[in-house]
Amino acid sequence: MRHSVNRPPTPDAAEDQENVPTLQEIINIKLIESGEKERLMELLRERLTECGWKDEMKTLCRAFIKKKGRNNVTVDELVHVITPKGRASVPDSVKGELLQRIRTFLNSAAL
Amino acid sequence: MSSPINHHHHHHRPNHSRRPINGQISSPPCPHLADFRARNGSKPFRVLQGCLRVKPPGGRASIRRDPSEVPRCASCGDATRPRLYACMACAAVSCHAPPGPSHAAAHAEAMSPGHEIAVDVDRAELFCCVCRDQVYDRDFDAAVVLAQTAASTLPTSTSSSGSSRAVVAPENLRKRRRVDYRPWSPDTRERALVGSGSSPLASVSTSDLPWGLRGLNNLGNTCFMNSVLQALLHTPPLRNYFLSDRHNRYFCQKKNGVSGNLSKRNADGAFDGGHGGKNGSFCLACDIDAMFSAVFSGERTPYSPAKFLYSWWQHAANLASYEQQDAHEFFISMLDGIHEKVDKDQRRLQSQDNCFPMQVCSFVSCVSTGSGDCCIAHRVFSGILRSDVMCMACGFTSTTYDPCLDISLDLEQNQRGSAKATSAKSHHSCNGEAECMNSSQNSGTPTLMGCLDRFTRPERLGSDQKLFCQQCQVSQESLKQMSIRKLPLVSCFHIKRFEHSSIRKMSRKIDRYLHFPFSLDMAPYLSSSILRRRFGNRIFPFDGDELDASNEFSSEFELFAVVTHAGKLDAGHYVTYLRLSNQWYKCDDAWITQVNENIVRAAQGYMMFYVQKMLYYRASDKMGAS
Repeated sequence: MRHSVNRPPTPDAAEDQENVPTLQEIINIKLIESGEKERLMELLRERLTECGWKDEMKTLCRAFIKKKGRNNVTVDELVHVITPKGRASVPDSVKGELLQRIRTFLNSAAL
Repeated sequence: MSSPINHHHHHHRPNHSRRPINGQISSPPCPHLADFRARNGSKPFRVLQGCLRVKPPGGRASIRRDPSEVPRCASCGDATRPRLYACMACAAVSCHAPPGPSHAAAHAEAMSPGHEIAVDVDRAELFCCVCRDQVYDRDFDAAVVLAQTAASTLPTSTSSSGSSRAVVAPENLRKRRRVDYRPWSPDTRERALVGSGSSPLASVSTSDLPWGLRGLNNLGNTCFMNSVLQALLHTPPLRNYFLSDRHNRYFCQKKNGVSGNLSKRNADGAFDGGHGGKNGSFCLACDIDAMFSAVFSGERTPYSPAKFLYSWWQHAANLASYEQQDAHEFFISMLDGIHEKVDKDQRRLQSQDNCFPMQVCSFVSCVSTGSGDCCIAHRVFSGILRSDVMCMACGFTSTTYDPCLDISLDLEQNQRGSAKATSAKSHHSCNGEAECMNSSQNSGTPTLMGCLDRFTRPERLGSDQKLFCQQCQVSQESLKQMSIRKLPLVSCFHIKRFEHSSIRKMSRKIDRYLHFPFSLDMAPYLSSSILRRRFGNRIFPFDGDELDASNEFSSEFELFAVVTHAGKLDAGHYVTYLRLSNQWYKCDDAWITQVNENIVRAAQGYMMFYVQKMLYYRASDKMGAS
């Protein structure tokens, strides 16, 4: 469905609005509105730095860039290559803590 | 108080040419970004500036038209995607989730040309949807950093400090060749030379105390001098310099005897005339050499540094009295004395050898002051401070470099520390004692690291201290940040315990306890770290040639001497604690006692001497054991 006219594709307002938002979406919006999402992301950043995950990813990225040559790498490629390894190596304790925080938030927000 | 900041600017340069960015050669800019800039005139990011939001935890920048907006992809309506991009041309938000379908790329293609560049709404970073790569723009980054910095600092009056002297150009940090340490032992020829040229010291079998531990007699309120001298006598690079005969007093006197005739013709011969000694000139370095010989002779009875005191009086006539003096003032004055003498000698030599005009030579010596190669005092203690002043209106930054012999730190606890607390946290991940440091800092006990944090924190200069901005051509409110460009071999921290209030016309002493660590990592306070922390991976609004400097020198330091002050402003006593072979000794004028390290930790530090760890380990080896 390619738009040939030179203007942004108009979102189908009726279709969008009438769709009942999923639970995941509601939670996401609540998290954003309360500012909890920012706090969670900051906590996650801190934890991933503390446990060395960030340095590990940095090393992987450096190695990949070195292999491919500095000018032949795009961010997309990097994300593509590193994401699976990154997801796999997040420590369970960090995941557990985040999950706990989200649970507590959901309880207090009484959704 | 504030250093002369308005000299020596780095010139602002446009973005387009290929040139080093942040000290690295950049690849040629993305053609789509160049197109976008060409299409949108001189201020392509003006619209975006109103949408920049900086949120409190972490102070990260994001893009929101309205603060409470929840951005979602216009094509699929998804708001949970990790990468959402707003088109720079029409503000349409699209998701980009490779390897799956990319609505951002589809948008760019459908609307081509002109819609290739988009901005990551959660990270405020530019992205080219065609190249599928991050792109960098100097003006965009400057706008983001300005918004972040403005959000992270509260307006404060300036209280930053630092000894600011002559402004010099940043010296080119040459790559230093690392030479591995090998213990020296004389070969047969050298052994013969040593045997014929010297007589062995009487072996000190009475104790296994470290060499050079000798009390200094108080010559009448001279504990300010004794305390500093004890620290200097055990400053590893200084001790090695003098004990290896690099400044031989007999040779120096002989040389000066010759050049003494010459100096009579000089205008500055008046300086030499005051002595009345047989050579007609005094030399602080010679007296220090004599003192080193005496102190390291193995003799343990207290020594009287009377000759040295007399020479210092010659040098600093305004301080020549039997009154109590400030130890820090003495320290600076004495280093100046060593420098001046050596400097004068060099100039004299140069003018003899090369017929240089005096002006040129003094310029040369001024430049070398900054790089610390002019004399032993500067080689050991001289570092370079960097001060960045950023205009709050346009983001233009001017940078100055000031040589410093020590770093003076404010002790006053700042109660508005909360804004700083978050950013301070990340500084210390490398300092071992960091966690307790920070908690104790927050609970009210000042720490040396807390002082250094305050020293290097960006500081908004008040509206009464507007500075002239080169780019705006008017005085603007600005933001100042200090950092350490070059670490000295020995870092001396001076804690401002003596406070002079010009308003109340009185002085007082701050007796508050300050916690100081035995090992200190200076890496968080280096220009490279400070700039990297402030700008992240954004382009610096000035030439960032700092980033490689951090690898050049070791940033780890060990404490080896603490000068403490007990008593009041006008009457008190200085005592030095020395750390030799990992044992602490208290040097109280003529009396030296071995003490527990907890006593040192509890002492009221006035000057702290740290030496680069690399050198400290040599220092802790038993001297003269071979």
